[in-house]
Amino acid sequence: MTAVLEVRNLVKEFPGVKALQGVDLDVVDGEVHCLLGPNGAGKSTLIKCVSGAVEPTSGEILFLGEPLPQGDPAGSLKRGVATIYQELDLVPDLSVAESIFLAHEPRRWPLLDLDKMYRESEALLARLGHESIPVRAKVGKLRPAAQQIVSIARAISGNVRLLIMDEPSAILDEGEISTLFEVVRRLTAEGVGVVYISHRLDEIRRIGDRVTVLADGRTAATGLPATTPTDRLVELMVGRKVEQLYPDRPVGTDRVLLEVRDARRLPAVRGVSLQVRAGEVVGLGGLVGSGRTELLRLIYGLDPLDEGEVVLEGKPLRAGHPRAAIRRGLGLAPEDRKSQALVLDWSQTKNVTVADLGRFSRLLLLDIRKERETARKELRALNTVPDDPDRVVRLLSGGNQQKVVLARWLLRQCRVLLLDEPTRGVDVATKAEIYRIISELAAAGLGVLVVSSELEELAHICTRVLVMREGEIVAEVDGKDATERALLRHAVAPTDSPDLVEEVV
Amino acid sequence: MTDTAQTWRGALGRAKALEFQEYALAIVVVLLFIAGAILKPDTFPTWDNIRNMLTQSSVVGVLAIGMTFVIATAGIDLSVGSIVAAAGVFGGIMVGTDGTSSLVFILAAILFATFLGTCNATAIAYGRVVPFIATLAMFSIARGLALLLNDKLPVSLLDLNGGSFGDPRPFSLLWFGVGRIFGIPVSVFVFLAIAILGWIVLNRTRYGRYVIAVGGNREAARIAGVPVRRIIFSVYVLSGFLAGISTVLLCARLGSASPVSGNLYELDAIGAVVIGGTSLAGGRASIVGTFLGVLTFALIFSLMTQLNMSTEIQQVTKGLIVLGAVLLQRPEARY
Repeated sequence: MTAVLEVRNLVKEFPGVKALQGVDLDVVDGEVHCLLGPNGAGKSTLIKCVSGAVEPTSGEILFLGEPLPQGDPAGSLKRGVATIYQELDLVPDLSVAESIFLAHEPRRWPLLDLDKMYRESEALLARLGHESIPVRAKVGKLRPAAQQIVSIARAISGNVRLLIMDEPSAILDEGEISTLFEVVRRLTAEGVGVVYISHRLDEIRRIGDRVTVLADGRTAATGLPATTPTDRLVELMVGRKVEQLYPDRPVGTDRVLLEVRDARRLPAVRGVSLQVRAGEVVGLGGLVGSGRTELLRLIYGLDPLDEGEVVLEGKPLRAGHPRAAIRRGLGLAPEDRKSQALVLDWSQTKNVTVADLGRFSRLLLLDIRKERETARKELRALNTVPDDPDRVVRLLSGGNQQKVVLARWLLRQCRVLLLDEPTRGVDVATKAEIYRIISELAAAGLGVLVVSSELEELAHICTRVLVMREGEIVAEVDGKDATERALLRHAVAPTDSPDLVEEVV
Repeated sequence: MTDTAQTWRGALGRAKALEFQEYALAIVVVLLFIAGAILKPDTFPTWDNIRNMLTQSSVVGVLAIGMTFVIATAGIDLSVGSIVAAAGVFGGIMVGTDGTSSLVFILAAILFATFLGTCNATAIAYGRVVPFIATLAMFSIARGLALLLNDKLPVSLLDLNGGSFGDPRPFSLLWFGVGRIFGIPVSVFVFLAIAILGWIVLNRTRYGRYVIAVGGNREAARIAGVPVRRIIFSVYVLSGFLAGISTVLLCARLGSASPVSGNLYELDAIGAVVIGGTSLAGGRASIVGTFLGVLTFALIFSLMTQLNMSTEIQQVTKGLIVLGAVLLQRPEARY
């Protein structure tokens, strides 16, 4: 056994963010090393450092005992580091052989050597046990699993010693995953080291040899055997102390404000039904890509529904029309404030009033003094800093920008508020304020639906938490019983696996 | 100490970039006028020359006001010059040879221009054609129509005033071209009125706020409930309508409607808007800036003409000024 990859104390700082704060990782030849961690733990940054797509701030990366050139994708590739990303990066209109040899086509100068390309493609596929894939077929015509095999064939078409796979199973069904695992096993038998990233804890026991857990940009544990109990892995992933930043949990009433009935828009949302009652904060948890944001967009009318309906206070909402939704009392604070919520060059005032300008119009003209005073009142109620309604929102902190968006919907007196990642990019102090605002809004009788990747915050602020996975709601957990751990289990693993049922009370 | 620091930061944070550009441009206008007065003291600072400059700039000025709304939404309208020609010829043939009604010409020209603007609007807002391509197509279509409608010939409109420019009745067509109120040309009043109305609409109405919101962040505007598509539709209709008004001013001054008139007016209008500080990326627009931009162009070219510089040199200069203004507008230069 020789070490293929050794990562020592790797640090990567992006402006304002420490993505990696000292990560260690060893991969030996012939092993499948699983990399675990919640969203934002630094998994992607780590593999990008290894593949050369990102240059680390400090620390070292040894490949076969020698330092790997940093920030040099071609150099990493030449030495034998191949990466397969989550989204298949194949061109559907190219043939299988063309895809495998894209950018390093065999040539008989200056022409392509097509014979050689087809011959070697067939050999590569045979090496993976999939000689039945036709090398002349267009990639777009293949099933996802076969496309995945083509990606792997492409990755090993050079002299690969380390293969990094970022959630390769995310788009595959059960049978296809077995096929994929066989291929991975063939490669490790040849001595290739594999780094395997997955959110599915059940896969680790099936394919992994050893496990490394990342949390908050640090190595929480490394070199654990794949037999480590799921409980322990989840604990390592979460592993943070809960601070006193949460207000009292709202209780909710019986009056249903918002009802979603079998909402469907493929592929992201596959039949979702839910209710939000007055006075409730309902959490919508799940991993990135589980369909949460897409569901909010459907409710708000930003995307049309394939099937199903949204009912607001007993009356169906016209689908696909945000203006209709707003008129009926919906408000949305979208995920990406800068690109979806705010006109950055505008003052706080204008950003607050834009959804409710009608109230300031008199004989077609805007009463801008009244507009400014009203906005100031709303902004002060939320303790927005600085207390200057003319301040351009581009210059505000993330938390204060979020307050501007909230002030907009409070002015509009909306009845159901949809919040998508309301505390993303917000410092802890302002987070606490936003939690308090959410709780007060619920106490005032609003229904609030909160999407968040921070399962911990959902576990603390919600009356109920719904967990989405692959476009469906897979669990409903009462707020009192919700823990980050329980929610994460629902988000990553099939709920019906026997060792998990006990977690859910 | 902290108070002072905060006040200072607050003032900066208000980002008076636009107002700064307006002041700067106003100074440019004054400096240009002084330069003209020094270089050509006998002919430049005369009442006649000022009146002349204002009259000439009113045609493009009206177009530039419409263009300000279009560009505020991050759009562009390349067709206004061609629309002016087509609407003029259309109005001319509607009046006919024995026609005597100015109102027929005015209504026909404005309606036809608005119709062509509505075609742009439909293609862009509902057909999702990018504004550049849609209005480039209209640039060609409208010019073609202008030539087709009267067999490439201009239409004389002097019959509307008994065959000459002399002493038109108030509110007859030629009155808009040669008439004066208190010594000031009527067309200048029309331009001023439209500029003031444009300012009010852009800065003091919900509609104007929506226009800027769409240009500033279309997705955010949609999520905040702005009827994005209707707003985009409306600015191209407005631009067409104002091209109709501009047609009336131009034809009234020339006493005829020519199928080759209005050539490159879109460039003049876009240039005035851009040097006025309206952002081509949308979301930032200034009617005052556009107004001053129109005056700047008028002063520069009047001065160049008086200095016997050829129209070719003027054209090169015009392009360079527009290019320079856009370079100054790059996002990096904003803060």
